[in-house]
Formats: sequence, structure tokens, C-alpha cells
Amino acid sequence: MNPRRPMQPSPGGRRRGAGPSPRRRMLLVVGVLSLASLGLVARAFDLQVMQKQFYQDQGDARFLREVKIPVSRGTIFDRNGEPLAVSTPVMSIWANPPQVLENADRIPDLAAALGVDAGELKEHLAQRADREFVYLRRQMPPEAAQAVLDLDIPGINAQREFRRYYPSGEVTAHVLGFTNIDDHGQEGLELAFDDWLSGKPGAKRVIRDRMGHVVEDVEQVREPKPGKNLTLSIDRRIQFLAYNELKNALTEFDAASGSMVILDVPTGEVLAMVNLPTYNPNALAGSKFSDRRNRAVTDLIEPGSTIKPVLMAAALSSGKYTPTSPLIDTTGGHWYFQGHDIHDTHNYGLLTPTGVITKSSNVGAARIAMTLDTALMYNTYRAFGFGNSTNSGFPGESSGLLRIGRDWRPLEQAIMGYGYGLNVTPLQLANAYATLGDHGVMHTPSFIKGADNDPRAIVSPQVADEIVQMMETVTAPGGTATTARIANYIVAGKTGTAHKAAAGGYSRTNYTAAFAGLVPASHPRLVGVVIIDDPQKRSYYGGMVSAPVFARVMEGALRLLDVPPDNIGRWYAGGPLMSPNGLAGSKPPTDTPIDDAPVEDEP
Amino acid sequence: MFGFGSSQAIKRQGPRGSFDLPLLVALVGLAGLGVVMVTSSSIAVADSQHIGAFYYLKKHLFYLALGLVLAGLAMRTELKQVEKYAFPLLLVGGAMLVAVFVPHFGMRINGARRWLNLIVLSFQPVEAVKLILVVYVASFLVRHRESVETRFWGLLRPVLVAGIIVLLLLAQPDFGSATLIIAVTIGMVWLGGARPLYLMLMGLPLMPLLAIAATSESYRMKRLTSFMDPWKDPFNDGFQLTQSLMAIGRGEWTGVGLGSSVLKLSYLPEAHTDFILAVIGEELGLAGIALVIGLFALAVGRGLYLGLKGVEVGQRFAGYVAFGVSLMLGLQAMVSIGVNLGALPTKGLTLPLISSGGSSVLMTCAMAGVLLRATFEINRALDARQMATRMPAMAVADANAAVASPREREAVAA
Repeated sequence: MNPRRPMQPSPGGRRRGAGPSPRRRMLLVVGVLSLASLGLVARAFDLQVMQKQFYQDQGDARFLREVKIPVSRGTIFDRNGEPLAVSTPVMSIWANPPQVLENADRIPDLAAALGVDAGELKEHLAQRADREFVYLRRQMPPEAAQAVLDLDIPGINAQREFRRYYPSGEVTAHVLGFTNIDDHGQEGLELAFDDWLSGKPGAKRVIRDRMGHVVEDVEQVREPKPGKNLTLSIDRRIQFLAYNELKNALTEFDAASGSMVILDVPTGEVLAMVNLPTYNPNALAGSKFSDRRNRAVTDLIEPGSTIKPVLMAAALSSGKYTPTSPLIDTTGGHWYFQGHDIHDTHNYGLLTPTGVITKSSNVGAARIAMTLDTALMYNTYRAFGFGNSTNSGFPGESSGLLRIGRDWRPLEQAIMGYGYGLNVTPLQLANAYATLGDHGVMHTPSFIKGADNDPRAIVSPQVADEIVQMMETVTAPGGTATTARIANYIVAGKTGTAHKAAAGGYSRTNYTAAFAGLVPASHPRLVGVVIIDDPQKRSYYGGMVSAPVFARVMEGALRLLDVPPDNIGRWYAGGPLMSPNGLAGSKPPTDTPIDDAPVEDEP
Repeated sequence: MFGFGSSQAIKRQGPRGSFDLPLLVALVGLAGLGVVMVTSSSIAVADSQHIGAFYYLKKHLFYLALGLVLAGLAMRTELKQVEKYAFPLLLVGGAMLVAVFVPHFGMRINGARRWLNLIVLSFQPVEAVKLILVVYVASFLVRHRESVETRFWGLLRPVLVAGIIVLLLLAQPDFGSATLIIAVTIGMVWLGGARPLYLMLMGLPLMPLLAIAATSESYRMKRLTSFMDPWKDPFNDGFQLTQSLMAIGRGEWTGVGLGSSVLKLSYLPEAHTDFILAVIGEELGLAGIALVIGLFALAVGRGLYLGLKGVEVGQRFAGYVAFGVSLMLGLQAMVSIGVNLGALPTKGLTLPLISSGGSSVLMTCAMAGVLLRATFEINRALDARQMATRMPAMAVADANAAVASPREREAVAA
């Protein structure tokens, strides 16, 4: 084309056979391009506006994940607000094995930070190379976990968790129980109140990148509900006291095991409950399963002579007996009844009903039992909670064993009078004594402070009070438990020394030494039951083995709870109380307790 | 106003060219958007490779700077010089394409021999060849205008040259670039005046060739079919495309916000190169995609418009180069966008001026420089024509003599 020509296209400039003019050709090209561009915009519109839901759903399925928001478990406090079980944040390290194996040169660093062998770690990961989530170490201290994360190894991630920590360790182990690695209660109150304590983990939707890292929180699906706190009726200080004294006694008498229960008489709340042997709930591994049992509620013992006050409640209720009459003949210390030798350690001669308690006469108890109506005796035992769960709510609580009264044979009834032929738990025994202490009103034992514990009258207040007075003589001179005395307080209690049931009868060498008591006797505030199983050294009598433990623990507990002494009025009237042995304010009078009498064998 | 006044005051020495402003705006806009999006999309990639979050940004900026130097050179080079070396350049381009098959010199990545190992950096010859072919075809169309317009043989020659290049590309294999080069060559000879009948005749043997090429290797066949229904096998063949579609679908009208793309977080492969449009679609939405298409439309439209003007005023080489480069940019963009949107089979083509990728960035800049130079010379010719109509005496003296090619003058003489 000639540039000098002013305008194109001119038909003259066209060559023969040539196609359309450049403008027309360009029109076609531009048309095609424009159409294609519009097509692309239309396609984008289709994808981004019309069909967006499908693609977003597909995308969400790939990177939107619901993850748990861990919540801390509620703290368990003792009655004074001291923490007994707390949840501490910990980190669990997890790995995406293929990604870690890609950077195999970093494995030694990782192993060092985790505190494991590098070769083992590599093998561990290699075996799980087809997975995307493998825990490497759970529940690490946060700073140790951070050190691992700081290595910045691809495929290593951390997850926040909570771990239970028990400041009191083995002292409260049986009552509290423990949780598993997923923070769920497995034993004890942790199990009983798991729903209350554990709360509800929340959930949130997050966007994760392909490596599994959370990139963005999208929304909260469920609000996390942290576990609620729980205030127990346990007094940690008394618990420690009981633990220490029980432990000393077990060592001193070389006993196999022991339990102690202390209840608050007016409310039925459990102030202390210790068992030995025990375990460390903070380091469960290696502890024996038998050590984890809360013997005070799960183990059955034959109560032996500690049942005699309950028998006496039946006797007094029957109207045939008063504390002082009629006299019961225990002359000779033996009663051959239906071919069975019921006997005492000494010949006590004629005893009042109070004397039967004081001296713990088996013959006297058996004779009283035989005069009672079977139904009355059975109903009284039953009413005091034997053969029935106390409904304390403790997991695995045993209900004990009490045969139905109408099935009792006469000999059985006689033996039942001094505590054989039935099984009770230490908690049941403590609850029965607490009932006597609270003027015949029984409460449901409770581990929770201020719980509604359903008071119900079992025996008349007069009967209950009389029995408490009768039990005061047990710690008085001439009683079986002078070792249970506490300076300035009157202790009402009862010893029990029972042969242990063994295969084929009763063991002649193995005993259960028990003491159950109320203090202060005039206004009972605390009830304590000490069971020491199979003492091997020095003594096996309840009065020698268990009663001193009771005295030492209760002395401290009374002081801690600020319980006034029985005879405080006399303090004001005449100064310090003098006893035959000197000033009675500093230490209890010491008399050697008489031995209570275990039977030689079983019917 | 001031400029006008001064030009009146000082006597004009000759016709003056100028770079087309809308084109420049579109090109710079695309490159700027590219920098932003490369940054956004490559951070996660770089992070997962532990090479520093801004590794790919630095790389992109480096090549962009190098490309700007190249573009600056191109913008200051008379197209006549380029036209003169069109054939030697073609030989160099062909040699480079052969060189990728030389052991040690050519690099094999992911089963494709597309790269030359230049020790410090690698280079993809096809990117240079795209520009060289445009220059060669343009020069051929200028030299053999008559035979191209009238004879089958004249039309066949440039197409044959393109065909050889396509064969070399298919051997790499680089199906995407091969298709692109065929399309651009056809577009250029069409605009160069080829007869539609001959063009169709030419296309006939090409069709089975493409079909054979497409079906010869299974992975290409899979790529060809998987885009139709990527959800049939979303974890293998359809993986890349489904990720891309999910990203785009998430964008809706205005996107999830710059930097907020999720699919770029190791889900979408090649997020900062071939599939950068998916990230744009996710972060900037339909608006972003429309912006990209709009900027390309502006650039291509201006390029084609000025190319047409150039052809009309006799700046045939500049005009054809403008056609070629515009088509090359436009078609590549279209194919890349189409691939991202799942409208075309998945091919390894970058989005020109936006995607990261050394050779592509470098040579796209060079192409843009050549295109701008073409607009400069076309504007100069238009200016000369205007001067000629206003002041014929002066114009004849230098303007046309300066801009008209010898061939053109011969034609006038004839």
C-alpha cells in the first residue's frame, strides 16, 4: 500500500484473489477473541456465582475441620478450699510420620528433645508411615513441648491437653481416685462426679492447610463448658493426721493394711478417709491394683465386738434392758451353747449391760442376743445400715452382708450378738456409730460439703444417748480401750478384735483390730473408725492397736475443728482439771486396757 | 497544552513517535498485579519448602527487573534492525530448541525437556522462540506479501517454519506452547492476508497431526479428558483442576480478600505459576478475574488496533509484530485462564506478565517492549502522515523517507 494514499482500504489497492480487507479480517479476529473472553468471564461467573456452593462444599470437605476445644476439669477442693485435684495444661506432641520421615536428618534432634532413642523413634514412625497422626509423647510440660516445637521440624505438631495433678498425692488417693489419659474419671470421686467435673469440650471449625496446621478459626460450633469445681467434705488436715497415724501404726504393729474413717456426727459428712497401703495418683504406673482400692468402702470386715453397741440398742429398745439391769451372768467366762464355746478372756462374773460393753464380754452379748426377739435384732441391725449400701455414692461401695433375720439359727443369733456372721464396711460401722452419736438420727454419709444428707431417726434419742454413755466406760479405767483417751475429752467407743475369716474357718493367728468411737461423748461431734488388718507384732487387740491411732488422730482433729472439751464448765469453775495422775490437761490418764475377747473359732 | 505550545515554537525536526499510553497502562497494571499475586500465592509455597517466605517474590522481582532492562532495550531499538536479523534470530531460536535435547545442557524436569542449563539459572527457549517466531513471520509477511496473499506456497513457508518449531516443542514435550504457536502463526498469516481457502487446506493435515500428538502419550490424553469431568478422579488426574476450581468457587463476587486464599496453602500445586489465576479468583473474586481479562483485553485490543493502523499507514512490519505479540499475549492469557477455569485441558502455560517463572517473565517483558516499540513507530508514522497532510513540503523530505521500508518504496516505484 502506498503510504501517500490518504485512506484505506481502497478497492484498487487489493490484490487479485486476496481475502477480505485487513479491517474485515481484524474484525473476525477481534470477534473471536471477544467471544472467547466473554466465554471465560461467563465461565468464571458460572463458577463463582452460580455453582459456588458445590465448589465451596468440596473445598470445605478438604480443609474445614471441626476440632475440639479442650476444657479444664473442675478443681476438687477440700472443705476449707484447699485444692485436692487440679488440672494443669500440658502439651501432647504428635507427628505426621511421612512428613517427618522426609526430613529424617532431623530425627536425632527430635528424639533428643523428646527424650527418646533416635533409632526407636525412627522405627516407630516408619511403622506408622501410612498414618497422618501419631502421638509421639503425651502430656509433656508446656516448656518442654515448646522446645520440641522450636526445632521447627516439618510434620511435628502439638496439641493442648489437661492433666490431673493431686497435690496431696497418696494421702487422698483413694477418696479422689484418678483420671485416665483422656481426663475422664476412672476411680473414686473423680469417677462418681465425672460429669460434673469434666465439663463439655467445645468445638470450633477451623481451616487447616494441607500440612494440618490450623490457619484460621472460622466459627465456634459449641461453646466450651469448663468443668465445675467440687468442694468435698474432706478436711485435708485431718486426712493428713489420719494418714500419718495409720501409717505409723501399720509400721509399729507390722500390719497388712488399715483404714480409718472420720465422720462429722451432726451431718454425716466424711471428714477423712484413709487407707493403707496406698498409691501415688500422680504416677499411677507400677502401683498395684489392690493398693488402689478404697478399703473403707469396698472391703468387708467382720465387726467383732464393735457391733455390741448396736446389739445394745436393740436390747434397750426391747424394754427388757436398761444400762444397769438386769445383771447378766458371765461366770466362768465360757458359755457352751449348742456345742459351741462362747468365751471371754477373763471371768467377769455378773455384769450389768454396761459392764458387757465395758469389758466387751462375748458371753454377755450372746446371752443378751438370745433373749431378744430375732425380728427386733435383725431390724435394728438393718436400721443401723448393715447389709445395705450407705448410699454415699462412692463408686464400688459394698453393701456388706447381713442374713435375713428369719433364716437365723439360734447359735447364729448368739454369735451375731458379738459381731460374727455378718460383714460390714468401715464406713457402715462409722455411720452406725454416728447415728448413736446424733441421738439416734442417721444421715447418709456424704463426700460433698453441705450435701443434703437425708436425716432419719433409727432409735429413740434416749436409747442412743444411753449407749453413748455406756461406751464412755470403755475408755474409763477397767475398760478395753483406755488407750483411746484424749485429754480433756471424754471418748465413747468400742474396741473389736476379730479373727480373720480364712479358708475353712477362722484363722487362729490373724486378727482384725478395730476401734470405733465418738468424741466428745457429751456432745458427739466426731466419729472415727480405725480398722487395722492383720497386725503381726506386739499386739492384735483393738484396744492396743487401733484405739491409740483413734486417740492421736482425734486429738488433733478436735483441736483443728476447735471442738470444746466435754467438761469445759469445770474449767471455769475450778481451774485445770486434776486427775489421779496429776494435771489432766496435758495428757490423758494411762491405764492398761483389759483385753477384749475374740472367739476361738466359728460355729 | 504546554507541550503543544512549545512544539509550535520550536520548529519540528521530524515526525515524532510515542508509546501508546493505554497499552502501557494495561501492561504495567498486569505486571503490578502480578507482583502482588505472586507474593500472595508463593509465601505458603516458599514457607513449606523452608527457603524463606519471600523467596519467590525476590526471584520474580529479579526477573522482572531483568525483563524491564530487556524491554527498555527493545523499546529503543528500531524495528528495522530487528527485521534485518529475523532469520538469524530464528536460527538461534531453533538451535536453542534443539539444544534442550543435548545431554547436560538441556534439563529434564518432570519428564519434560524444556530447560537449558545456563549454570546460574535455567532458561526455557520456548519463551524466546515465541517472540522470534512472531518477528520472523512478520518479516516474512512483509517480504513475501504478494505470494502469501496469492499463492499456496507463499503461505506454506511460514507455516512450515512454525511446524518445525511445533514438532520440536512436541518432542520436549510442550503441548501448550505448540498449540499457542500454531494459533498465533495462523492468526498472523490470516491478518497478513492469506486466502481462507489455502488456510483451511493448510489446516487439514494439521488436524490429524494434533490428534496423534494428543493421543500418543497417555498422560496427555488423560489431561485432555480429565478437564471435562475433574470430579471423576479428584485425587489423581483431576487433582490440580479440582483444587483450582475450588479456589475460584470460593472467590464469589469480590473474593475472600487479598492474602486469605486457603487453596494456596499447599493444596493447589503451582499456585504462583500456572495456576495463579485460581488464587486471583479466590482472593479477588469475579472482580479480580474480570480485571485481569479486562487488562488483557485492553492490551490486546490496543495492540491489534495500532497494528491495523500501522499496516494501513505502511508500517507493515511494526503492524505485523504488533499483531503477533498481541495475539501471543492474548491467546496465552486466554489459554491459561481457560485452564484455570476448567474450560480447557490442563497445560503448562503461565499467565503472561502475572505468573512467576523466570524465562516467561523475562521474555514476556521483552515482547511487551517490542510491542511498545511497534506502537511507537506506528504512532511516528501516523504523526508523519499528519505532518504530510498539514505541511506536505516538509513531510516528503524526511518523514516518509525515514519510515517507509525499501520494499515499500519499490512498490511505489513500480
